[in-house]
Amino acid sequence: MFRMHRSRTVALAAIVALGLALGAANVVLAQAPSELVSRYVTTSASLTDPLAPVWSNVPAVEMPLTAQSAAPPALLQRSVRSVRVRSVNDGQWISFLLEWDDSTRDVRASRPDEFRDAAAIQMPVDASIPGGCMGARGKPTNLWHWKGDWQNDIDKGFQDVTQAYPNFWKDYYPFVVGKPPYQVPADFPSTDARTYMVGWSVGNPLSQPMRVTPVEELAAHGFGTATSRSSQNVLGRGAWQNGVWRVVFSRPMALSETDTVQFVPGGTAHAAFAVWNGSNQEVGARKQLSSDVTLSIEGNPSSTLPWWVIIAAGLLALAFGGAIVYAYIGLTGPRTS
Amino acid sequence: MFWNNVETKPYGGYPIAWDARLLELLGPQTWEGGTYTGKTIFESAPEGHVAVGFLPEDLDWVHPNIGEDETSGLAERGMHLTIPHAIWNFYLPRICNHCSYPACLASCPRKAIYKRPEDGIVLIDQQRCRGYRECVRNCPYKKTLYNTVTRVSEKCIGCFPLVEQGRQTQCIINCIGKIRMAGWIHQPNKMDPESPVDFMVHVRKVALPLYPQFGLMMNVYYIPPVHVPLPYLQQMFGPHTERALNAYRQVKDDEELMGVFLLMGATDRWIEKFRVKSGWAFGYDDKGSEIVRVPLKEPNYIRPFHDAARSVYRHNIT
Repeated sequence: MFRMHRSRTVALAAIVALGLALGAANVVLAQAPSELVSRYVTTSASLTDPLAPVWSNVPAVEMPLTAQSAAPPALLQRSVRSVRVRSVNDGQWISFLLEWDDSTRDVRASRPDEFRDAAAIQMPVDASIPGGCMGARGKPTNLWHWKGDWQNDIDKGFQDVTQAYPNFWKDYYPFVVGKPPYQVPADFPSTDARTYMVGWSVGNPLSQPMRVTPVEELAAHGFGTATSRSSQNVLGRGAWQNGVWRVVFSRPMALSETDTVQFVPGGTAHAAFAVWNGSNQEVGARKQLSSDVTLSIEGNPSSTLPWWVIIAAGLLALAFGGAIVYAYIGLTGPRTS
Repeated sequence: MFWNNVETKPYGGYPIAWDARLLELLGPQTWEGGTYTGKTIFESAPEGHVAVGFLPEDLDWVHPNIGEDETSGLAERGMHLTIPHAIWNFYLPRICNHCSYPACLASCPRKAIYKRPEDGIVLIDQQRCRGYRECVRNCPYKKTLYNTVTRVSEKCIGCFPLVEQGRQTQCIINCIGKIRMAGWIHQPNKMDPESPVDFMVHVRKVALPLYPQFGLMMNVYYIPPVHVPLPYLQQMFGPHTERALNAYRQVKDDEELMGVFLLMGATDRWIEKFRVKSGWAFGYDDKGSEIVRVPLKEPNYIRPFHDAARSVYRHNIT
């Protein structure tokens, strides 16, 4: 009895130790997931609603974030710990939902010392290359960059000087129309009127007051090279509620352009994520970012087999079922003689 | 936004305390004779950054005229004029210094800032800038500025379209005090004594850079104000301030220097070379053609009381 107790105690201790070790390993694994499945949904995946019901049935992958310190200017301490990512697709469109905790809703970058919240997804054009590091020469990457101030421009109208400084007054600008205090863009219709707003005149995307989407699509091939793409295909929307941002990004899965990442049902791609917290003066390289995940794009389950296989399987099933019934009748004998 | 601003020293600044704050961040700035033995802003860079700097707050920009015309102290009964003044102020016009080692250029992680090889003018590419404001943090002179409407940063463009046409910049042309001049500067061993700026900086050594200890080799030089106490000026212009003030004090006997001073504001065209001869100062373009001539002493014209040609009497011609 005593021996059994001791061996049982030792066995129990070993099991507990193993359990703890496994538990610790599980904790490590859970903090840096490497897989994200883009769930196939039958509703439309062309989504611009971060609160759409489809998201509640899709499990999230929680990506821990680390402060960027590979290149100056570095972020010395992260202000956002993790981002929860979900993805759905309907074979035509693919969408991602990024959700993260941020107690401040920073949606204006008008004053010289204010910065806005933002989030981005980085996906190499070559779907087999891991994401992160902003690409490399010969290995371009796509960036989908949602900005809080672009969202606010869309929701509330372009945030001009008057919105940042409510008592601002200016009685004249060359070639301006309308009445003071003048509003961009309505009161500056001509190119002459825009002469001194050079960012706007030369087409800098940051300076365009009329926004179509809050997400900017960029390409990069290394640190410091990110450039806005001439063709913009990503829709999106961000909403902040009770200290949580939820931002959806949405794009057609296949595009005719060759320099963008393509999403193939049943295929894979790679993605990494980044988040900026405006109240921590985060912008550009001052960001927190995640490690790479392999994105598995779920296709339509019913369309994964060829049609003739389905029909042949159905006929076989019928034949098999018929054979069982016949055997049963044969064994039990006819009811009537 | 003021690409060019004029602030009153000692209390003015745009943005407020732009210089005092950085001097404090930089720590002790030691000199051994004429050699700086302290750290430049690049050498003092904190971890993960290329330079030491700070981002001014919104309110630091909203009072461009703070301290204007304020004197260093209060006037006391019995004070009289001395050199240097017992209480003093002076005006410091500031533009982008188009530095030889620009901190703005070094700070931009996207290389959206570049320095033109043909004239050294430093520019922010308005298509490439994304408003990160690293340049605003790190420019010691705070002459890169964020545009609220376009949400990208801008700076003095050195009026490069005018410079390309052989003309001086707008701030220089429009200075009513005629105290500014644009010209080419070379390294000391390659200086051209016929270039007015080389002459002032390298030959007469009457003009000095502002806060050289920052380490950017700026290309705007100042003739220090002779009425301000030397310690204050030395903090701004370095250990050679006294030599510059002495050169300035000789100008009444220095025809060449007088001539260069009088060429300031005499023409809107860029003076490549100058010469002072026979009581006149001449400015020349790059082809050697005369652009302007100025007498060292303005002649006196005495007009008779009665103007016969117009049949009028001249009155009030003091």
